[in-house]
Amino acid sequence: MPPKYHIETSQVPNRFQKITRSGIIAWEEGCLKCTRCVKKDCVYQVYEKRNLDDRQMLDSLDSACMDCFRCVQNCPNRLIHKGLNPSYKALGDHYWTPEIISGLWFQAESGRIPVSGAGYGGPFSGPGFDAMWTDMSEIVRPTRDGIHGREYISTTVDIGRKVMAIGLGPGGEIISQAPPLVEIPLPVIFDMLPWSPPGDNIQLSFLYGARALGTFAVVRQSGINPAVREFLPHVIIYVDGNPGDLKEELFSSARIIEIPDGGDPIALQERFKSINPALVVMIRLRLGPKTPERAFALIAQGAEVLHLVADEYGLEEGSDPLFIKERMKEVHLHLVDKGVRDQATLIGGGGIAMAEHMAKLIICGADALSIDIPLLVAMECRVCRRCKEGIACPVELDGVDPLWGSLRIANLMAAWHSQLLEILGAMGIREARRLRGEMGRAMFFEDLEREIFATMGKRG
Amino acid sequence: MDQKTAGLNITIFFCQQLDIDQDKNRRTLEKELGSQIRFFPLPCSGRIDPLHLLRALESGADMVYLIACPEGACRYREGNLRARKRVGYAQKLIEEIGLEGARIELITGTAATPATIDTIARELLMRDATVGISPVRSKG
Repeated sequence: MPPKYHIETSQVPNRFQKITRSGIIAWEEGCLKCTRCVKKDCVYQVYEKRNLDDRQMLDSLDSACMDCFRCVQNCPNRLIHKGLNPSYKALGDHYWTPEIISGLWFQAESGRIPVSGAGYGGPFSGPGFDAMWTDMSEIVRPTRDGIHGREYISTTVDIGRKVMAIGLGPGGEIISQAPPLVEIPLPVIFDMLPWSPPGDNIQLSFLYGARALGTFAVVRQSGINPAVREFLPHVIIYVDGNPGDLKEELFSSARIIEIPDGGDPIALQERFKSINPALVVMIRLRLGPKTPERAFALIAQGAEVLHLVADEYGLEEGSDPLFIKERMKEVHLHLVDKGVRDQATLIGGGGIAMAEHMAKLIICGADALSIDIPLLVAMECRVCRRCKEGIACPVELDGVDPLWGSLRIANLMAAWHSQLLEILGAMGIREARRLRGEMGRAMFFEDLEREIFATMGKRG
Repeated sequence: MDQKTAGLNITIFFCQQLDIDQDKNRRTLEKELGSQIRFFPLPCSGRIDPLHLLRALESGADMVYLIACPEGACRYREGNLRARKRVGYAQKLIEEIGLEGARIELITGTAATPATIDTIARELLMRDATVGISPVRSKG
């Protein structure tokens, strides 16, 4: 059995205090000076270790409190209150919710799977990925446990074009050429950010992280500088300028190049491959209503990898945009109908915010996916988008230490990897490649609603 | 902006119950004034501690404001009353070390005219400056 892919985790402390769901208000006045103060009884020594972060004026009482409510209940004069923190409610937006952001912070800090406690109070469906349930029928088999169990569950996926049949010559010799294939141990690549504070440190964190995890980070052609060159085997160069400006040495060190759709991407792909045949070329397409036909046309012409991207909310372009999972299903099924699905790799990106989204998008037909904002959140981003408006980042992301950032990213990916293993194990699937397009192992709210209610109200 | 307090570093603590959209409303000012203005939202003005106010002065603020809800309108009933006491206490402390007590000020809105945080902040910036650059800052 090959060694298990394992991501080293460590506790990587926050630079700034977290914004927590609830906050303590200790009124102080009216204290009866009890001989046994509830503050001294705190088992987490929250009051004894109290300090104030003067960059944000946040009290450590809130971030260190474990919500046991012992002090709130036991103070005889009811001087300690806990209330919902309005700053927590204001985090992110309707898609990047405070729960998602704080969950990502926890995973990046600890490398552990977030556990919400006993039971789940609902809701049981919602928009986007929440309208999808995976089949966990094998959850009772402990030997399928990919994290601790005996069976090996692989999360490795391939990026590149695949040969559908081996061509043999008259003497039985193999004459077909195998196209280059790049294997990544985790079905995730790091994409360009839709917005971020200026500076190179964030990108360097991504690159250190990508190298440590054995995956790739997409870097714009214009962003290739001496610091980035060191990471070229883990860089996907996105050709956002004149392809002629790319130096030959980049082609020999890079393994994947990404080009935008538009013009004649296949001609450009051929041009790059004539310089380095071992290069995998990825074509980036903005998801939209015409993507299924466009994807088929590109694959028929020889495209190797298609990177289908939605916006940061997982929505495609157009006046009535579909969510990424719907369009990905459509693209996948269209390619299956045309008999070309297995020839090319599909990478989906945009709106991937949680580990479960990773498994769900793969079920909808992606081979792998690209993530962006969660990597920034791993480095304490609050998704306030102040950087987009030219306002200083409240958590000084522009000055982040790349090594610290890469450890946070590795922690987040370790937690996502463990969750992917949990899902695969619970579904009885032993490798991420087999999960792709397994729509029969999932239920979709829209389908169920249609099946159950479509006939209602019809007469005869 | 025709700011009368130009050159002064302003720190504003405020109760978040005053303005639901405070995070969006204060962005224009943050962009205009950069590090010259710092906003610190609090879940209730009663959450303020004299330490907050002193730390703000210590970290380079020339003026520190606490904006609280009008009397009788506190979500936690007496948070703003407690805030008033704490601001008074902090003023006394800074006077003892030779700073002007006016560097810390409590602002309370009126229930009749609820305002957004940026409007209140702009009004404060337009007021005549009663203090100059803090000696804490000028001494580096």
